[in-house]
Amino acid sequence: MRLRDVARGWRWGGRPLVPASAEAHRPPTQPPGEWATEWARTPLAVSARAAIQAVGLKPLVWSEVSPQVRGHDNLIGLEGPVIFVANHSSHLDAPLILCSLPSSWRRKTLVTAAADYFFDAWWRATGTALAFGTVPLDRRGTTAASSSTPRELLDGGWNLVIFAEGTRSQDGQLGSFKSGTARLAMSAGVPIVPIGLRGAFTAMPRGRGWPVAGRQKVSVRFGAPIRLRPDENAKQLTDRMRVAVTQLCAEESSSWWESIKPAVEPAKEAAEPAHWRRVWASTTPVRHQSGMPADPWTRKD
Amino acid sequence: MTRPGFVLEVDERTPPLLVHSGESLRLERFPLGTRVIYPPENLPGIDDPAAAIEAALDAPIDSPPLRELLYAGMKLTIAFDDISLPLPQMRLPDIRQRIIEAVLTRAAEAGVDDVELIVANALHRRMTASEIRRAVGERVFLSFWPDRLTNHDAEDPDKLLHVGLTDSGEDVEINKRAAESDLLVYVNVNLVAMDGGHKSVPIGLASYKSLRHHHNSHTMVHSRSFMDPEKSAMHSSAWRMGRLLANSLKIFQIETTLNNQAFPNSMGFLTKREWEWSARDQAMAFGAVRGLDRMPSRLRRRTFQRMEADYGLTSVQAGEVEAVHKKTLESVHRQQLVEVNGQSDVLVLGLPYIGPYNVNSVMNPILAMCLGLGYFFNMYRGKPLVRPGGALIIHHPVPYEFSQLHHPSYVDFFEEVLVESTDPATIEAKFEKAYATDPWYRHLYRTSHAYHGVHPFYMWYWGAHALDHIGDSRNVVWVGADRKAVERMGFRAASTMADALEMVHGAVGSSPTLTYLHAPPHTLANVT
Repeated sequence: MRLRDVARGWRWGGRPLVPASAEAHRPPTQPPGEWATEWARTPLAVSARAAIQAVGLKPLVWSEVSPQVRGHDNLIGLEGPVIFVANHSSHLDAPLILCSLPSSWRRKTLVTAAADYFFDAWWRATGTALAFGTVPLDRRGTTAASSSTPRELLDGGWNLVIFAEGTRSQDGQLGSFKSGTARLAMSAGVPIVPIGLRGAFTAMPRGRGWPVAGRQKVSVRFGAPIRLRPDENAKQLTDRMRVAVTQLCAEESSSWWESIKPAVEPAKEAAEPAHWRRVWASTTPVRHQSGMPADPWTRKD
Repeated sequence: MTRPGFVLEVDERTPPLLVHSGESLRLERFPLGTRVIYPPENLPGIDDPAAAIEAALDAPIDSPPLRELLYAGMKLTIAFDDISLPLPQMRLPDIRQRIIEAVLTRAAEAGVDDVELIVANALHRRMTASEIRRAVGERVFLSFWPDRLTNHDAEDPDKLLHVGLTDSGEDVEINKRAAESDLLVYVNVNLVAMDGGHKSVPIGLASYKSLRHHHNSHTMVHSRSFMDPEKSAMHSSAWRMGRLLANSLKIFQIETTLNNQAFPNSMGFLTKREWEWSARDQAMAFGAVRGLDRMPSRLRRRTFQRMEADYGLTSVQAGEVEAVHKKTLESVHRQQLVEVNGQSDVLVLGLPYIGPYNVNSVMNPILAMCLGLGYFFNMYRGKPLVRPGGALIIHHPVPYEFSQLHHPSYVDFFEEVLVESTDPATIEAKFEKAYATDPWYRHLYRTSHAYHGVHPFYMWYWGAHALDHIGDSRNVVWVGADRKAVERMGFRAASTMADALEMVHGAVGSSPTLTYLHAPPHTLANVT
């Protein structure tokens, strides 16, 4: 047994894998401890994060993928704090959103992250809190994972990025939204800005620790803010959020006009399409919308 | 909450798995699809063992409290399990010490003067003074050693009593002092399901004349398995003897069970599931695998033999033998039993450095055979883990090495008997009596620290069921073993597990089903 075999067997640098047949026999997860992340919101840390994101993160992300950002006009005149809600299919999603935001918005934006995933080790918790301004969120809602609740953060003037599906999609398709985000927006009285992300699943799907080679095209599209209507409940607001995100994703592959037609989602089939078909649909290459064709070899078309 | 045991199916995500191989460790990649049987996680140990012992003695099962059985002028004998239990030795204080001290405290309160303590070593070697001191503690040792704290001598006609014959005509002959006592207290450490019950007194304090009725090749082939007392011919015989004894002797049985923390807490990787190893566990495992191979053999042996397990006490019960043992077995099963569906073509075993008969000694080839084909093969209920006519692949170096102090008759058994035959029934008929009655072996057993002359035969019989089940002994392949030692026993040796699988190809085909019994710690498979 060589050191290389140990490194490979236990995936040094990656999260250790659990054999499929042992999944049902994993130890019960300990409720994550209370992670103090206030330090990451001090002026010094905010300045450090702004520098890291501007000088390090954005050039890095932009060098690995080819993003196209649309919809900044929806942020004009909008007063924070807001909740950004996006579809979630990749670890690229949070860096993409942060780097796509205007710098004035970015400085005041934090990302909620699963406490059991990003806050399971001190070095991971510290690193992500510094670079992304992450705050732990307990997905199971059993304990208060953070010393500051999302409501307190919003009240303090911070924008929050929340992935309302609760986890990354297995197949790139939009999953159901949990209602916690809508309830938070209702209680804090803040608008929700929907974001449609496309191409991130292709660029860095689940299981990958780094984007695939070839600077895959991705798009980030900000939508019009959603505000609570009178007599609207959390479920209705959640439905509107999901429809908005769906439309923004669809807009990338068709047009705004096509996307706002009533039947945005594919017609329901009798049975759910096979896994491979869902992945296939999610990995349809993104075509950047511009006056110039993205690929010079398609100019003749 | 303790997680139950389960059967892992090796897939691409499975890291290399830990395999014991004598005084070394291996990290082995198993073929995809191999079933690996993991025992339940360690049960939590009792926080206050002293209070649990008090409670057991004061509220026994189907028996008056111990205090009521003790009175001035009585003859009290305390017998206890010998050095073969537990394995490895437990971190002090030994549970036997705690219990014996509690019993003696009550005896002193009752004014009992005539007390003797006997090591129930049967035909095992006599324990040394320091080994006994370690088991019973300084206070007991100073109070009773050497006249009233002794090893059982199965060859002293003056110290044996023939109690009678069972319905099946079996001689019941045990230690005279114990048999003639007003009360015999037996202190047991129940490590596996085979131990305890009527195996304690009728076997631990018996003579060769009595033991030969169940320690023989016929009984062993029909003990399926001897880890399942209800299906074990050996246990049936011991139970008949125990019930006969109960007619004339009052036995107060105290049984204890331990959890599966069979190694020091500091070596946590030895009892954890591999994919849950922390970076520290990985470093320790890698260091152990590489370091042990580079260590001088004497230092390596000393390192292993000095290891002390941080066992936790999971239960202690006292009272009438059979009622007590029923509760004991429940506790053992709770810690060790794993449900397994069906047999496989090949069973893979990794034998550790220690078995019941080489504590502070050498595991010679016969003891390795006994540990593999006897103990580990029999760690099942229902059906064996391997199908009839299947193959056994065992990791152990099987060094050609004997302790002349502890195992003198083993040397001759290996050189004289196994050359003639490896069939248990044949060697029993042809050689057993001569070895059992040999005056030199008898002398060494009684005065030195040698196992009885007949003991290597018993070791061979313990593997009789496995040999019968596998059929062709050449389908038992030892990985990393001394070729000559293994061939003398009728088996084959391979350098790697891949080679071993290739060698058993004739019996199990080119894509056999494999099961790896991930032990130690102890894992008892309930095969349905």
